[in-house]
Amino acid sequence: MTDSGVTRDIAVEVRNLVKSYKSSFKRQTFQAVDNVSLQIESGEVYGLIGPNGSGKSTTMKAVLGLISPTAGSCRVFGADSTRVDARSEIGFLPENPYFYKHQTSAETLRFYGKLCGIRGKKLTNKVNELLELVSLEHARDRRLGGYSKGMLQRVGLAQALIQEPQLLILDEPTAGVDPIGSREIRDLILKLKSQGVTIFLCSHLLEQVQEVCDRVGIIFEGKMVNEGTLEELTEIRNQHEFIIKNASPALVQDIEDLIANNQQAEVVRSGKPRSSLEKLFIDTANEQKHNKKGNKS
Amino acid sequence: MIIPRKTSFISLPRISVIAGHTFTQLVRMKVFYFLIIFAVLIWALKQFVLGTFTGGDTASEQQLRLLKSTSYFAMNLFSIVMAISATALLIPKDIEDRTLYTILCKPVPRLDYLIGKLLGVLLLIFVSLIFMDLLLSVMLHYNTQSLIASEISLMGAGGNSEVLQERITTLNAHGLTNNIHYATLVIFFKAAVIASVALLISTFSTSTIFTLILTIIILLIGMIQADARELILKASERGETSIISKLSMFIVLVFPDFQLISVDDGVIDGKIVPKLTLLKITIVSFFYVALYTSLSWFTFRKKEF
Ligand SMILES: Nc1ncnc2c1ncn2[C@@H]1O[C@H](COP(=O)(O)OP(=O)(O)OP(=O)(O)O)[C@@H](O)[C@H]1O
Ligand SMILES: [Mg+2]
Repeated sequence: MTDSGVTRDIAVEVRNLVKSYKSSFKRQTFQAVDNVSLQIESGEVYGLIGPNGSGKSTTMKAVLGLISPTAGSCRVFGADSTRVDARSEIGFLPENPYFYKHQTSAETLRFYGKLCGIRGKKLTNKVNELLELVSLEHARDRRLGGYSKGMLQRVGLAQALIQEPQLLILDEPTAGVDPIGSREIRDLILKLKSQGVTIFLCSHLLEQVQEVCDRVGIIFEGKMVNEGTLEELTEIRNQHEFIIKNASPALVQDIEDLIANNQQAEVVRSGKPRSSLEKLFIDTANEQKHNKKGNKS
Repeated sequence: MIIPRKTSFISLPRISVIAGHTFTQLVRMKVFYFLIIFAVLIWALKQFVLGTFTGGDTASEQQLRLLKSTSYFAMNLFSIVMAISATALLIPKDIEDRTLYTILCKPVPRLDYLIGKLLGVLLLIFVSLIFMDLLLSVMLHYNTQSLIASEISLMGAGGNSEVLQERITTLNAHGLTNNIHYATLVIFFKAAVIASVALLISTFSTSTIFTLILTIIILLIGMIQADARELILKASERGETSIISKLSMFIVLVFPDFQLISVDDGVIDGKIVPKLTLLKITIVSFFYVALYTSLSWFTFRKKEF
């Protein structure tokens, strides 16, 4: 790191990332990720959202150096992702994590801890601490072959935290976890954030993304179509929203009449509120589909 | 400001973590049951077969020979099967189960992972071979002593002491000598080379069956290539050089010569393994293992999952 200042606080930097796969029979290639750029500042929680197959996991794998980019580059704390060094500060939770079935959860954590160079008493303490954190103490000496999906997810999370990484990459952290567990994971993310850990996650549970993320990127068919802070993305400037509790039908009627009498204003939508990120997501997806149809005809 | 820690390229502690894990994984796959089968086999051999050899001067040697050849056959079988199947299965399994994701996402260089896997398999084979070698040694020692004792009592009455001395020397040569352990060691070297071949193939092949078949083919080529080489040499002495002979010279260079890495036939016959031969085999084996492991790394380095 020679020229500090600009690159100082960047934890993850993805620059014009392209990843294409050969479609098996046709000669053409298929672009799983198409010119995606994003920056995550140190200490930030960044959420990537998008439909199935839009390239979220592929982007994460490129950041981890599991795949090499067709074009563009990824850097983690200034180190190129293709280098092993970049991984010393990353904890990764893959989607649907699987571990060695013959190991117990305690053994699994010990194994990953040793791979990171942690030994002895420190490792034992860390393993106990993490098992408690993900509420798996009761199952610590059972083989993972008999674990449920949500339990495996918890092991995955504990494994990602073993070396106290400065960057956490979580691919659908709450998939398969029960409501209480996913609440705990949310709280954990917020706690880690308060400790200054950078978090890069993707999830289909938009409410959760909204609760924890500082910034969100929406990816659609490999392209980044929208990105910004939560406020920027969800705010609609020329609109105003009331959320009224215990409103009688008469009051609602009165308000609607009042608006109807106004020359400029009109009611865009009324009804029960829903999470705005979800709305944004669906709107964006619809818009993209619409655009595609428009382009074709 | 956070600067990623430097990760050394090859780290022995890390390799040993992976090797130790691979070893445990294989043990938990219950491969050591083979050792029980081996022990039972040797015991049954002694109990029901060896006693039945009677009469004739060479009967005693035949007994010891049978003990050795059965043991070496079992050792060869076990170590080759383990070397091929364990190596061919484990890495594709890691890729398929996606356990490899979580390993390579830790600061683990891919070369360390490959070496660790290979060493884990080899450790398992080594421990098993030591066990089998010990068992063979005990049996051989015990049998030789009892055979010598019976010859002494047989000839002691009116026998020529010079003839008796010669018999004892012959029997001892067939019995427990260091050569027994040398042959075991060479079986281990052969397994190491085969495992590294399987490692190389499993880094580029897309199915386990393909890896198994290709490794077995290379093993077979390696076993017959010395004979083939001789044929070609004779042919070229007669001035016949063909495409085939050039092709086979290439094969000779790339594929390991497993006839070279083998001394058990001689040891079964009670022959001595010259130190120089042992040294040569050690060097050749290390060369092949290093060669194939580097090639594996070369293909595995850029592999995507
Ligand atoms: N190894 C591969 N070979 C070929 N195509 C691939 C490969 N990996 C991913 N793809 C394709 O790349 C696209 C993006 O996949 P990716 O896994 O990144 O999606 P995702 O956004 O994570 O989806 P999900 O929400 O379902 O997890 C998909 O169309 C997928 O089929
Ligand atoms: Mg995904």
